[in-house]
Amino acid sequence: MKTREQLFGFQQKLLVLALLAAFGPAHAADDEVAKLIKPDTASISAGAAVAGAFRPNGSLFGQYNGWANNSSAVLLDFDLIQRNDETGTWVTAAGRDLGLDSRELSLGSQRQGAWKVSLDYSELVRHDPRTLNTGLQGIGSSQLTVNSLAATGTGANQNLDIKRTSYSLGLEDWITPGVSVELSVKSEDKAGARLSGVGGYCGPVVPSAFCAIASGGLLMLAEPITSNTQQLEAKLNWVGTGYSLTAGYYASLYRNDKNATQISGINGNLSNLSNLSALLSQPVSQAPDNQAYQMYLSGTYKLTPTINTTFHYAATHATQSDSFASSGTPAAAGLPSSLNGVVDSTLAQLGVTARPMPKLSLLANVRYEDIADNTPHALYGGTYSNQTNSSTKTNSKAEATYLFPENYRATFGVDYNWTKRKLPDVGSTLLLIPGDSLTSIRETTNELVYRAELRKALTDSLNATLVYSQSRRDGSHWVNLGATTSAYPNTYQPLRYVDVTAGGVFPTTMMDRNRDKVRVLLDWAASDALSLQFNGESGHDVYSAPNTAAGLKSANTFALGVDASLAVTDDWKLTGFVNYGEQLMNVSQTAGYIARLNNVTTNYGVGVLGKLSGKTEVGGDLSYLDDNNAYGLGSGNSAAPGVLPDVSYNTIALKLFAKYALDKQSDVRVDLVHQNITFHDWAWGSASTPYAYSDNSTVSMQPNQIVTYLGVKYVYRLK
Amino acid sequence: MCGPAAWAADTPQDLVLKGDATCTACHDEADGPELLAIGKTRHGTQADTRTPTCTSCHGDSTEHVGYKGSGKRPHPSVVFGAKSVNTADARNGACQDCHVKDSKRSHWEGSTHQARDVTCAACHKVHAAKDPVRDKRTQSEVCFACHKEQRNLINKPSHHPIAEGKMSCSDCHNPHGSTGPSLMKRNSVTETCYTCHMEKRGPFVHNHQPVNEDCSTCHNPHGTVTESLLKSRPPFLCNSCHTPHGPIQPALVNGSALAGSSSGWWTPTVITQGKSCVSCHALIHGSNNPSAAGQRFFR
Repeated sequence: MKTREQLFGFQQKLLVLALLAAFGPAHAADDEVAKLIKPDTASISAGAAVAGAFRPNGSLFGQYNGWANNSSAVLLDFDLIQRNDETGTWVTAAGRDLGLDSRELSLGSQRQGAWKVSLDYSELVRHDPRTLNTGLQGIGSSQLTVNSLAATGTGANQNLDIKRTSYSLGLEDWITPGVSVELSVKSEDKAGARLSGVGGYCGPVVPSAFCAIASGGLLMLAEPITSNTQQLEAKLNWVGTGYSLTAGYYASLYRNDKNATQISGINGNLSNLSNLSALLSQPVSQAPDNQAYQMYLSGTYKLTPTINTTFHYAATHATQSDSFASSGTPAAAGLPSSLNGVVDSTLAQLGVTARPMPKLSLLANVRYEDIADNTPHALYGGTYSNQTNSSTKTNSKAEATYLFPENYRATFGVDYNWTKRKLPDVGSTLLLIPGDSLTSIRETTNELVYRAELRKALTDSLNATLVYSQSRRDGSHWVNLGATTSAYPNTYQPLRYVDVTAGGVFPTTMMDRNRDKVRVLLDWAASDALSLQFNGESGHDVYSAPNTAAGLKSANTFALGVDASLAVTDDWKLTGFVNYGEQLMNVSQTAGYIARLNNVTTNYGVGVLGKLSGKTEVGGDLSYLDDNNAYGLGSGNSAAPGVLPDVSYNTIALKLFAKYALDKQSDVRVDLVHQNITFHDWAWGSASTPYAYSDNSTVSMQPNQIVTYLGVKYVYRLK
Repeated sequence: MCGPAAWAADTPQDLVLKGDATCTACHDEADGPELLAIGKTRHGTQADTRTPTCTSCHGDSTEHVGYKGSGKRPHPSVVFGAKSVNTADARNGACQDCHVKDSKRSHWEGSTHQARDVTCAACHKVHAAKDPVRDKRTQSEVCFACHKEQRNLINKPSHHPIAEGKMSCSDCHNPHGSTGPSLMKRNSVTETCYTCHMEKRGPFVHNHQPVNEDCSTCHNPHGTVTESLLKSRPPFLCNSCHTPHGPIQPALVNGSALAGSSSGWWTPTVITQGKSCVSCHALIHGSNNPSAAGQRFFR
């Protein structure tokens, strides 16, 4: 439309006709323009859907989307957007999935540059895709009663859900053009239950007061959840020429309404565990109430037109003083009534970016974090002290990027990461659990990383990137707590690179590690219609520690992928991707086996989006994901290689939609989803034999899940 | 306004933004209707005097506007498409001139995205009425344009509800720069995770050291095949740091009862199947039980 072109050449004698000719199109044109530029709309989307998506056949499909327990539902969404063009004030309201248990509502209003307010409500249920078969009673409460089943599969089927319900409020106000305040408050309730358990053992060597003979038992439980979290954050922002400053306060509080889980029924129902009754019936503690309060100062400062700095300082005070007695796990006489836990953290960060010359940019950043666990020690349980974890970390980074001739852009970077863990001063008042489960630790670890990156526009339409990085991590000498159980009280003893016991394993995060990675990216706009992206990545880690017989030895990663996008016409677009990824870890174990944990993932998909006519829009995606985990057990192992079958997960999903415009204000949309999942996992059973707890409780999930979803929605728009 | 606009035939009128007439004289509803949708956005709210006009972002573009030749018209001064010859700084500068005031973007300088020349327009659609990256149902597709591995992971059976549109990448990450590693929204990985999983924070009577240090030591938040987003399956995951109960080989059930095993009940199947190590060490994130039963995260 060109109003002036339409009017060009009109003659006076045709004025009346011209008016008719001009006003008509002008009205139409202005309506058309208004439709393109005015946001004021209200739309409601209502419809219904059916799906073969109910437990157990659609349990994976329905984990979060509200379809776990439904085979049909009302689909209801709405949007309201209104703008007052005189004042620039917006009012918005939106509702999503209102007919499902994942519904969301939001309301908002703002006057741009002046103030903003928002209110949000959301529900989200996580439906555990697995089904329990059990005689356990009291699920959802903290009073659980064990009822042993005569045989597996004879109990009641139970599904565990966790529902989150949250309320949020946000406020923002610009006091002056350079000063603003922000406030956000969020409260979230969490309710339901999740799979848990207890085990107990009275071994032949060390019978305890709990049991007279050697035996063991394992019970499946459902941990009850009824808790609330609250978060409040307030910020004062101050912005001026060349600088910005934010002073903030953040509080987060956790409140747990459930006390320790009490377990009963073991004596009466599990005669084979009667000697373990006292042990297994001990209450299971719940997460304690805790809170953290943080003050921070953050901002930027421009030193010169080409040098910018960023900074951040935060101090956090976290406490936990939930009463042991009121939580259902009273402490013995002489012990504190609560932990009185205190953790104080300090974070300081400074960053500088500079462009001293047009072709050179520099970056440097240093981050210091100190976590001081100031919780007092006491001999809980009469034998060992509580553990405290204090540490100091420094992470620093320097990087330079230079634009060389021929349009080569090279980046060189160095990172240095240093961690110091405070080792407790073990003595007469601080006795730690002996190190027979965690052989050794390191007080400090250091990591030095070198990175080189080369980017080049090979042609006007082809960009290439090559990245290589190398990191080397080592640390101080290894220490342990004295591995022999007779060595109480335990003390840290330096064991610098001497063989520890045959069962020695060193924590992966502290071991010496040599890491090399290379990455290639190609971005090719082959034509105005076709674009392609290629990516390839390979990495190799080698781990080492004093004991070479056990622990993680090496890890390899490899990935390859292609993405393509093709605009066939202005109305039709095709997309596609193929990805292949492999991760291999070699883990040696004390029993003498070597596990080659190999994960291979293949993922590909194609998509289409187009218009069949001016009124009909269609689209679809077909995707395939195959994930295979192999647990090869190799030489040095008394078990035969391949004793553990592969765990495989395979899904094919077809998603189609069609949208037909009934008129200018209304559409009909049809969605069809067909998903086929195959999940072979031996975690809860193998060779048709379920993995059974001592009371014959079992857990299962349908290994083959086929879901078809059909949704039809009518969308009406008000203007 | 249609009448006067129609009569003022030779006087270009602004269509959407203040002072856009020079541009919209050509780029009107017939030439580029999708461009005019900027009027539906915050940028097109004329009552807000801070809002831009076309040249605020695209530069004065005098060669483009004044071109009289018959060949290909020169591009505007600043363009944002894939074939743009403008530097990332030049493209982002147009946005930052105004959005530098936002505290959530204060750490853009020096962030990974900034250092790798990611432009604002690579993620944001400024002319669209609804920017897909600002809608949690569509945001992840924008991120996956570069982060391919995460596209695979969110479709694995243990995942956060990203594919379902109930969570977005920006619930955990601040792509505009942050004070945490990996553009974490808060100061650290743990602090970010605690915003939803605060029960793991403690401190407890018995703390599990990696919990305080970095959740991603054991979990991959983007998705895994193993339950609870574990990076690998216990006992192999746990064995990375711990010695299990003696020389026990992994094995699967053969139907024998678990209880009463003479060699200790942590049989090969108990170690391997079910919840594996966590069957007994159930409070693996920490136990606040002051009795001996709380040791080793049993109760």
